[in-house]
Amino acid sequence: MNWAILSGIEGNLTAYEAVLQDIQDQAVTDLYILGDVVGLQGDNEAIIQRLQSPRAGELEPQVCVGWWEEQCFSLYGVSGLQDAPELMAKVGGDGVKTFWKSISRESVRWLRSQHFGFHEQDCLLIHGSTVSYADELTPDTPAIELCDRLIRADANHLFCGRSGLTFECSVTPVALRSTVTTLDGVQAPQDCGKTPRQVIGVGSVGRSPGQATYTLFSPENGQLAFRSVNYGQP
Amino acid sequence: MKLAVISCIHGNYEALKAVLSDIEAQKADQIYCLGDLVGYGPYPNEVVNQIRSLEIPTCQGCWDEDIVEGLNACECSYPSQLAEHRGKLAHEWTNKEIRPDVREYLATLPLSLKRDNLCFVHGSPNSQHEYLLPSMDGFAALERVLSTDADVLFCGHTHVPYVRELADAKLSVTVKSPARSDAPQQFQATLKRIINAGSVGEPRHGRPNATYVLYDTDTAQVTLREVAYNYTKTCLAILEKGLPSIFAWRLARGMEFAERADDPTHVCER
Amino acid sequence: MQSFDLTLVAGPPGVGKTTWISQFLANPSRPLFYLCPCAQDAVDFARIGYCFPWVSIISDDQAADVLADLPDQAQVFIELGFHMDLGSPLLVALPGRRIAIVPPSLDSSEWHNWADEVIPSPNQQVSGELASASGKLPTIWRSPLTGQVFDPPSLDEVLIELTGGAYGQVTRLKGIFELPDGQAFYVDFVEGLPGIEYTELKLPRWLEGRPDRFSGLEIVGHNLEQKTIAQALLTCCLADDVLLQYQRQYQQLQLEDETVAAETEPGVVA
Ligand SMILES: [Zn+2]
Ligand SMILES: [Zn+2]
Repeated sequence: MNWAILSGIEGNLTAYEAVLQDIQDQAVTDLYILGDVVGLQGDNEAIIQRLQSPRAGELEPQVCVGWWEEQCFSLYGVSGLQDAPELMAKVGGDGVKTFWKSISRESVRWLRSQHFGFHEQDCLLIHGSTVSYADELTPDTPAIELCDRLIRADANHLFCGRSGLTFECSVTPVALRSTVTTLDGVQAPQDCGKTPRQVIGVGSVGRSPGQATYTLFSPENGQLAFRSVNYGQP
Repeated sequence: MKLAVISCIHGNYEALKAVLSDIEAQKADQIYCLGDLVGYGPYPNEVVNQIRSLEIPTCQGCWDEDIVEGLNACECSYPSQLAEHRGKLAHEWTNKEIRPDVREYLATLPLSLKRDNLCFVHGSPNSQHEYLLPSMDGFAALERVLSTDADVLFCGHTHVPYVRELADAKLSVTVKSPARSDAPQQFQATLKRIINAGSVGEPRHGRPNATYVLYDTDTAQVTLREVAYNYTKTCLAILEKGLPSIFAWRLARGMEFAERADDPTHVCER
Repeated sequence: MQSFDLTLVAGPPGVGKTTWISQFLANPSRPLFYLCPCAQDAVDFARIGYCFPWVSIISDDQAADVLADLPDQAQVFIELGFHMDLGSPLLVALPGRRIAIVPPSLDSSEWHNWADEVIPSPNQQVSGELASASGKLPTIWRSPLTGQVFDPPSLDEVLIELTGGAYGQVTRLKGIFELPDGQAFYVDFVEGLPGIEYTELKLPRWLEGRPDRFSGLEIVGHNLEQKTIAQALLTCCLADDVLLQYQRQYQQLQLEDETVAAETEPGVVA
């Protein structure tokens, strides 16, 4: 098995095509897309159509929702807060209008039917974290927070896309003495020493023009590789 | 200075009176309350009045929030369909019983309180609905304390009191990325504590007695208190006021049922 | 002349009559018959049918015909509930071995007088006292539940309440319950014995709509609040849409299990 894990296409069809091309040479068996398929810059309808109907011989992409999709749901009033205050703060009134116009109600419905995340083997694949779609994990996130997200994910590998960065943070809980006292006295101590677990940033396909990044992972042997694909005019 | 921390009174005025006199006997200087003043019990207005008249600093509990905001908790906050059904009955009853000024007061309660190196919340720093159970992974528990910048985190909501010491925490992190490759970094934390105040009015530790905690800010000593009170009075009032009689049966056995199934991986998609 | 064995088994509730009979039903080498008069929709009836499909279960109205025309080598077991009058002419007329199972502490009783053989119950704590303090005989309350599927944590909760006496004194409880994963469980409680026993019935998983096979509850006790019990039970049952959702999930899981099993099967070349 060999997974290709993508995030952050953000409507950038050219970048997505370039990545699909690159994937063809990698003997990939599963294609995961961790949210943000739509965005402010690209052609959102075109990318949604492309995802909905893969060509003959192409893998069926497995998509979960991301930050941009949640903004879309909020705008269309199908979930979350009304009127997408987060989006407003990020892109202003004009941006909100442009984004609203770029996606049909039909497409919103399709996006809404996509997954929340994927629990596969000992891996969780999700846009932010189980805390929230907006939870942005980076190599600079405090160690204890990364550790907490891994515990909450109940996984050895947490793949996420919110930051757009490609990175691997290996977190080892080395030691902790936990003592619980109840009305019945001191309880037997908990075993806290654990093996290392990984938080993995899968990169971003469409966020930086000209360069797409994504991740390859084979769940059998834990082998991880970051791919960088240049496209368009140099 | 000696602090008394109480939580989860749940409209049980009889239990509150007994705990307040025990606090007086223990010569505590200051009382803090971690919320859930109402819900399940027969005297929500009386309990709120008492807390207000004593000017006890109080955070908002999950039941207080639901009475203010309307019941919108995800069904995952109930351990079973039966508990959900009964929770809703209790909510509806309380919602009708409560006076407007009491509702207004509950709306003003803050989510957390701070005092020097101490932090007070109802469930966890994340939410009034999150349970910090003693079985929770130690590092996850530590993350909750660290997120408050405090050394001691007081919480309630589980209705079973406990003290948890988290000592000598050590984590190591190695970052690999196309842009950088850092040497492993060590993270260490000093001693932190989580103190759960239990429940005054809806105990779940298998006995009907009220529970709360005492904390000495000078010596950092914690005492879990268990106080017997006349629970049959509350049970009778439950029946008289038209609350489901099973509430009385469970109260008399210390079997409150509002605890969520212990599933740390549950993701509330609400 | 055809030869057959007939065994009559009697005793107070909870001594293990059905369990004692079961040891003989497990061996299908002879034609086996089971009869429990006046217990048509009783849980034991269904349990015998589920556990020993080769046993012919005789209903009351067929009893006379079947007993008159038994095959050669037949073994017949008649279980007599505590409510049966052992002196009734019909019973007295029956030829066969009379077995009484009684608590070891009981020295004399109508069962002793009636039986050819007295077997001490393995359930030491069973008192064998039928009448309550007020001298009343216990009531039997039966509730067929066929088609109902239970929310598992709710069922646990309500069984704890029932056996704990929340709805009247329960001396004996037997039930067959359907769960959303398609499994059915036999549940057994005897007052005085520790805990509630759950046994998985080896039946095909029912994952298509409401199960069309017997399930039900039988309670023996005093002052049972039947209406409240029925209400509490209904609150634990799953609605159509919830059941459908569960069944879809479990069908999916089953499918995945089968795929994995097929993939890992040795010798299969893809
Ligand atoms: Zn509470
Ligand atoms: Zn609470």
